Amino acid sequence: MADKTKVGMVFPPYVFEVEKGKIAEFAMAVSQKESKGQVKQIYADSGEARAAGYKDVIPTSTFQTCFLLWGGGGLMPMLEAAGINLVRLLHGEEEYEYLRPIHPGDVMTGVTKIVEMYDREKKGKPGKFMEFTVLEAEIRNQRGELAIRARTTLVER
Amino acid sequence: MKKALTYESINVGDAMPTFTSDPITRTHLVRYAGASGDFNPLHHDETFVKMFGMPRVISHGMFVMGIVGQAITDWVDDKNLRKFGVRFSGMTEPMDLDDPNSKDRATIVVTGNVVEKFEADGEKKIRCEIKAADKLGGVKLTGSFIAALS
Repeated sequence: MADKTKVGMVFPPYVFEVEKGKIAEFAMAVSQKESKGQVKQIYADSGEARAAGYKDVIPTSTFQTCFLLWGGGGLMPMLEAAGINLVRLLHGEEEYEYLRPIHPGDVMTGVTKIVEMYDREKKGKPGKFMEFTVLEAEIRNQRGELAIRARTTLVER
Repeated sequence: MKKALTYESINVGDAMPTFTSDPITRTHLVRYAGASGDFNPLHHDETFVKMFGMPRVISHGMFVMGIVGQAITDWVDDKNLRKFGVRFSGMTEPMDLDDPNSKDRATIVVTGNVVEKFEADGEKKIRCEIKAADKLGGVKLTGSFIAALS
């Protein structure tokens, strides 16, 4: 059961250095492609990205999911700290606001905070509750500029 | 060359182009696990999921969100995407390679409609509602995105 005294808790920051190869690898994964020549080239080729008006290659829209998973200790320590039961856990919602572009060489620092915890009665099951935990992460670049704001809703069945 | 998408040319109610993924295989899941760093065995190890009575591994929800992201940025330029959010509603099982009939449950179809045109922060924007479902109609997620247009 989620520990509701943890609302407001801020997790230790995680740091992720953005690599060009990782951007292309992630683009291949979400595009279901076998090689980086097959993905949209603004994700893989610096020259093509510049020709399209970008400073360098850019990541696909959900790339920041790797920052926590590869740059932090992953989700597990966070869930344990928040008292969330892994066996009953579902990923309910995910939302991103894109505030600044991200390029290879950027060093991103993410800080995640528990902003809300609440219960909602299950449909058709009076007295049975689902528990919701809402996390907000601010992801800044090496200049301290906010690049992405992420909001994650976790659900315990 | 696809036709440029402009604020003037788009109207509330317009549909974004329908996007259809390749049928998701276990190999796609492994590739996504490595790329994202999400190594929850639920997504690649059948001996793990069978302990919970599940017949097969299931896709990462974030992989499906990534596919939806591709559908969106096939239509609007990546640099114009301002906000993208989804609510997950159904699990996705990969196709079994020895069962061609299982393709449909593993094929993600992304559809969307413009629901709002507005100006904010000095930009002209559209908000679209989106849905991802498999070919059998099973809804995987619903959500919305906001993009700036010139």
